Amino acid sequence: MKKHDEKFDKKEKDLENALRRALADYQNLEKRIAEEKSSWVRSANKDLILRLLPGLDSLLLAEKHTDDEGVKVSIDHFLDIFRKEGVEKIETIGREFNPNLMEAISTREGEEGIVLEEIKVGYMLKGEVIRPAQVVVGKETN
Amino acid sequence: MGKIIGIDLGTTNSAVAVMEGGNPKVIHSAEGRNVIPSVVDPISHIVGDVAKHQLVLKPKTTIFSIKRLMGRKYTDESVQFDSKWLPYTIKSGRDGMADVEVGGRTLTPQEISAMILQKIKADAEAYLGSKVTQAVITVPAYFDDSQRQATKQAGEIAGLEVLRIINEPTAAALAYGLDKKNAHTIAVYDLGGGTFDISTLELGEGVYEVKSTNGDTHLGGDDFDKAIIDYIAEEFKKENGVDLSKDPQALQRLRESAEKAKIELSSATEAQINQPFITQGSSGPLHLTMSLSRSKLEQIVDELIQKTLKPVEIALKDAGIKVSDINEIVMVGGMTRMPKIVETVTKFFGKEPNKSVNPDEVVAVGAAIQGGVLGGEVKDVLLLDVTPLTLGIETLGGVSTPLIDKNTTIPTSKSQVFSTAADNQTQVEINVLQGERPMAADNKSLGRFILDGIPPAPRGVPQVEVAFDIDANGILNVKASDKATGKEQSIKITGSTGLSKEEVEKMTKEAEVHAEEDKAKKESVEVRNQADAMIFTAEKTLKDNEGKIEEGLKKEIEEKTKALKDILSTGSKEDLEVKTKDRAS
Repeated sequence: MKKHDEKFDKKEKDLENALRRALADYQNLEKRIAEEKSSWVRSANKDLILRLLPGLDSLLLAEKHTDDEGVKVSIDHFLDIFRKEGVEKIETIGREFNPNLMEAISTREGEEGIVLEEIKVGYMLKGEVIRPAQVVVGKETN
Repeated sequence: MGKIIGIDLGTTNSAVAVMEGGNPKVIHSAEGRNVIPSVVDPISHIVGDVAKHQLVLKPKTTIFSIKRLMGRKYTDESVQFDSKWLPYTIKSGRDGMADVEVGGRTLTPQEISAMILQKIKADAEAYLGSKVTQAVITVPAYFDDSQRQATKQAGEIAGLEVLRIINEPTAAALAYGLDKKNAHTIAVYDLGGGTFDISTLELGEGVYEVKSTNGDTHLGGDDFDKAIIDYIAEEFKKENGVDLSKDPQALQRLRESAEKAKIELSSATEAQINQPFITQGSSGPLHLTMSLSRSKLEQIVDELIQKTLKPVEIALKDAGIKVSDINEIVMVGGMTRMPKIVETVTKFFGKEPNKSVNPDEVVAVGAAIQGGVLGGEVKDVLLLDVTPLTLGIETLGGVSTPLIDKNTTIPTSKSQVFSTAADNQTQVEINVLQGERPMAADNKSLGRFILDGIPPAPRGVPQVEVAFDIDANGILNVKASDKATGKEQSIKITGSTGLSKEEVEKMTKEAEVHAEEDKAKKESVEVRNQADAMIFTAEKTLKDNEGKIEEGLKKEIEEKTKALKDILSTGSKEDLEVKTKDRAS
């Protein structure tokens, strides 16, 4: 009889644990879904913006090769729209290289660790890096 | 007790997963990615994507591919080979083991790996919202004891109790649940970022035994990228006379384009490469614009793909098995998404490989499952059953109307309101059906009952609610109630999920085979029902408006209705459609 009870006790305990675990998983899931929902809205924008950026990159490159006022106006227009969506350009040139915001593509003789040139503009969306800037960083040669 | 995480500690990338509610879930990094580059800056304690960003800038202090040195002697042939191309300093440490020297400090590969594991641990804790102290870590099947020990130590340094070190191919097989199937001999084809591994496994008594393993430690996705870059650069040179590979900035953009094209061509047959102003030519800026077809890509990388087959042959030979002995093939690594690779593997083995689990995540998923087994979660979790076949009732014209779709997790309940098919109908028969076919006669009838006492009313007016409820034991309760009178009738069916596996398979297969003709049959009934409803409305309208309708129009309607009525039971679906349309005009 005693043995029987022990068996049931153990079974009950196991089941209770399993239930607790399932409930905990469920509650955590609910919390996470709430979080994910809000981040979804953000990331949906992020994906679209990331896909639009190469077009802007081309315009920025074109600007370097032309004096056409129209291109400049178009770029400003583009950037203005982005700004309103919370997209900010990452400032790089003359600043210290920061791997959180930038990706070093190559190095050149110059002040150690300072960004000399920006190859591709980087952007933040509401304070989060969505694309790091690609830069050339200075290196002192001895 | 906290959760046990499963870690795929890779040469190029690492990934982590955990069991949640009995299912494996891949944990995304703080950067929002499903994998973490296995790159470490031990001086400033930077790991992953961020460390990768400064690789060019700090080649001597940013460590990657550390797995290649784990638990190896400095004098090892492979270490000697790798030290020639790895940009950081490798030297002989305690007991002649390979160590790295970073900024004047000597670090063991264990310590470097521990930093990756620490980041993984932190990301997992952020995701789970609780401390993580235990893990299962995977290693290549060919890792010897010393390499396994080193991996375990790395975990300990990172503050993780390593409950088990398991083989990567075993983890991949676990992720596919191959231990539960009757697969005895399994081949795992793993083409990662920098390495290729092929393993054959034998399953017995729930234990996987690695029979043989082979591969190429310097063949992976990076080589594929390089081949594509070389091709594009070559084409560009032919056209413009400028060598892009000499210009690091142009090369970077080329690399991005090549990788993007490679990924796109796994689903599309053609990819556009567009990099305006890629370089300066003698007569102004030059643009890189070309399209790359999948077949061209396959030509470019064919040699690399063929290179994987030799190790596969050797692995089979070493295991003493024939190609036909392999029951299942599992694909691992992002490169295996390439259709040409799947095709090549299929052709070689004569059967389709398993590739439904994300190949970047499959090893971590398997490790998490192993963690779940060790933690008792996988066993203890109440295995929720699913209904193997669709459950529904028969409605007008012998159509099977589904209420609970197949693969619905039980317990569950579902209800729907139906009505009568004829005027003054006082009873309805509920025929409970099981199966995937659209026509009632082709499905299995589980039981039937009659709900009577419905007050006489025109057809379509009474509201009969039919409710299905399946409890956790698979017992189905079907209840029909007349909303007007509250009168109800029910039936309890105990055998609703009690079909044998073979029966379920047979029924599902039949549904697939007959899909086309069934669809036609169902459509035909639907058109007939539609015609029937149309006749009913027309006659009712005529009757209700007796004397108010112009004689000519009335006659016309009557004729058309009669024509439709005449063919209602005999006409083909097309005829009925024509006549119904005609009648409607």
